[in-house]
Amino acid sequence: MGAKGWGRRSVLFLWMLFALFPVYWTLITAFKQQVDIYDGPKFLPFVDFTPTPQAWTTLFGGGGDFLGKFWNSILFSGVSSLLAVVLGGFAAYGLARYRYKYGPYRNDDLSFLIVSQRIMPPIVSVLALYVVFVNLRLLDTAAGMILAYTAMNLPLTVYLLRTFFEAIPVEVEHAAALDGYPRSQRLLRIVFPLAAPGLAAAFLLSFFFAWNDFLFALMLTFNNAQTLPLYITSLNAQSQPLWWLISAVGLVALIPPAIVTVVLDRFMSRQVLIGGMR
Amino acid sequence: MAVPQQRAARGQWYKHLLLSPPLAFFAAFAIFPLVFTIYVSLSNWSITGEHSFVGFANYANILGSETFRQSFLNTVIFAVVTVLFQYALGLALAVLVYRTTRGQSVLRLLLLVPMMFTPVVVGFVWKTMFDPSYGPISWLFDTVGLPAVPWFSEQLPAMAAIVTADVWQWTPFMFLILFAALRSLPTAPLEAAMVDGASGWRLFIDHMMPMLLPASMTAILLRAIEAFKLFDVVYLMTGGGPGVKTSTVSLAAYFTGLRSGDLGTAAAMTTILLIVVLIVTMILLRLLIWAGRRRRRADDAAALQVDRNDPALGDAVEPPVSAGVR
Repeated sequence: MGAKGWGRRSVLFLWMLFALFPVYWTLITAFKQQVDIYDGPKFLPFVDFTPTPQAWTTLFGGGGDFLGKFWNSILFSGVSSLLAVVLGGFAAYGLARYRYKYGPYRNDDLSFLIVSQRIMPPIVSVLALYVVFVNLRLLDTAAGMILAYTAMNLPLTVYLLRTFFEAIPVEVEHAAALDGYPRSQRLLRIVFPLAAPGLAAAFLLSFFFAWNDFLFALMLTFNNAQTLPLYITSLNAQSQPLWWLISAVGLVALIPPAIVTVVLDRFMSRQVLIGGMR
Repeated sequence: MAVPQQRAARGQWYKHLLLSPPLAFFAAFAIFPLVFTIYVSLSNWSITGEHSFVGFANYANILGSETFRQSFLNTVIFAVVTVLFQYALGLALAVLVYRTTRGQSVLRLLLLVPMMFTPVVVGFVWKTMFDPSYGPISWLFDTVGLPAVPWFSEQLPAMAAIVTADVWQWTPFMFLILFAALRSLPTAPLEAAMVDGASGWRLFIDHMMPMLLPASMTAILLRAIEAFKLFDVVYLMTGGGPGVKTSTVSLAAYFTGLRSGDLGTAAAMTTILLIVVLIVTMILLRLLIWAGRRRRRADDAAALQVDRNDPALGDAVEPPVSAGVR
């Protein structure tokens, strides 16, 4: 067991080195100056180079575009995820509780049809959306981006939440009905709170995907509605990329997905999400 | 699914209302763009809006074009290579972390860190990592005496760099699913097999792998679908270069459609990509269903084995189907 334990530990150690060195590299690059970067790799702060908060004062010192794009990212991801969870939640509830038959399509078919959108590469729809957005004057607007991200995340929330609602016994609702709750109240006051872990997981996953999107933002925005990923690429426009700024923004952009991952990891270890995947 | 009769009757308009927003979004953001894209692919639509019907001319053109053929080939190569690496590494990590008892939760979270990076940032980070003049990897090659590699100016090194970045980011995703699946496995059948004298490898191949198949196929399916969309990391690391040697279909369609303004040709490219993705998804879904059946058989066999070893223990085991496929 001892020898095996060492083998396991060294493999894990090597992977950790591979997985975490780029993180360390990003972290120190965010405190470097131009000269520290282009003079060849410098690894140790205070030894190889003197850390400077220059990147951070540029970002948060005002004047730049950073805060505006950051706010756009938060706004688009937050609002679209909320919409996707609420609208997707209603639909998922419907699929879990009622029987549908649209032509040959029954509940399972409808559910699959909706989730199948995720299979389509976004480049297929984004060319068409570009033309539509131009004509509807949605190009480079907050409304357009929120709509696009809601559409992107709805399939996921419908699919994920259906399993959650199916797990809630229908008797709970009967009891609420007997207590005199009207239908809309039952849904909002009884069913949604019971599915809260699922709603939270669906919201976080949606946020994650909207936050990370690059292609939609690249095609459908050019100035006002640009998001953080677009801001990051704009720092690369010059012949010498502004690596210290790119790294600093990269670290800021890491925060929401980090929260999402930690929370989802808790969910996964409690087996909440696995049900839908087997 | 229990649907109470009286509610089903009264809820007619209500149930349609519940489902209508996602269906409306589906129509507006999937069906319409799809039909529109197919229509555009049969025209010479330019970004200025002028167009006329040209039949399959765009398809004939791109099938003969070196740019498209190279991009298509690269897309397939990237998808196969990255998903294989991610799966193998993710599985290995899942098993290793599963066996680690001390500090497991910290280890698990640290492993997930690359997944938290925004894809755009991943592209940039690995671009600096591989930079021939000031990147740490070139420095490492130099220090250990390996020859300098022109990472971004030749095809194979550039592709390797892109694969590295993608594997770095998405192996944690495979790990996450496989680790969760591993933890949900019933332990009794594995212990029973150990009592029977099965060695580590045999235990893994004969007993764990069949039970991990559904989760494996799910993870592979999800990653494969994403892999065919590959865009961000390539766009940022190489821009498809040198030339179009690391380009993908998404990238080629973007440059053709929005940069060169030839929407017709770009639409034809994306239509072909969609057809390929659909075929691959179909095959993988079939495999997923097969894996589910296989898993149920393995569960049944395992339950039998437990019974044989110790009837009392057999009763304590949860019914195998409950852990199986829904």
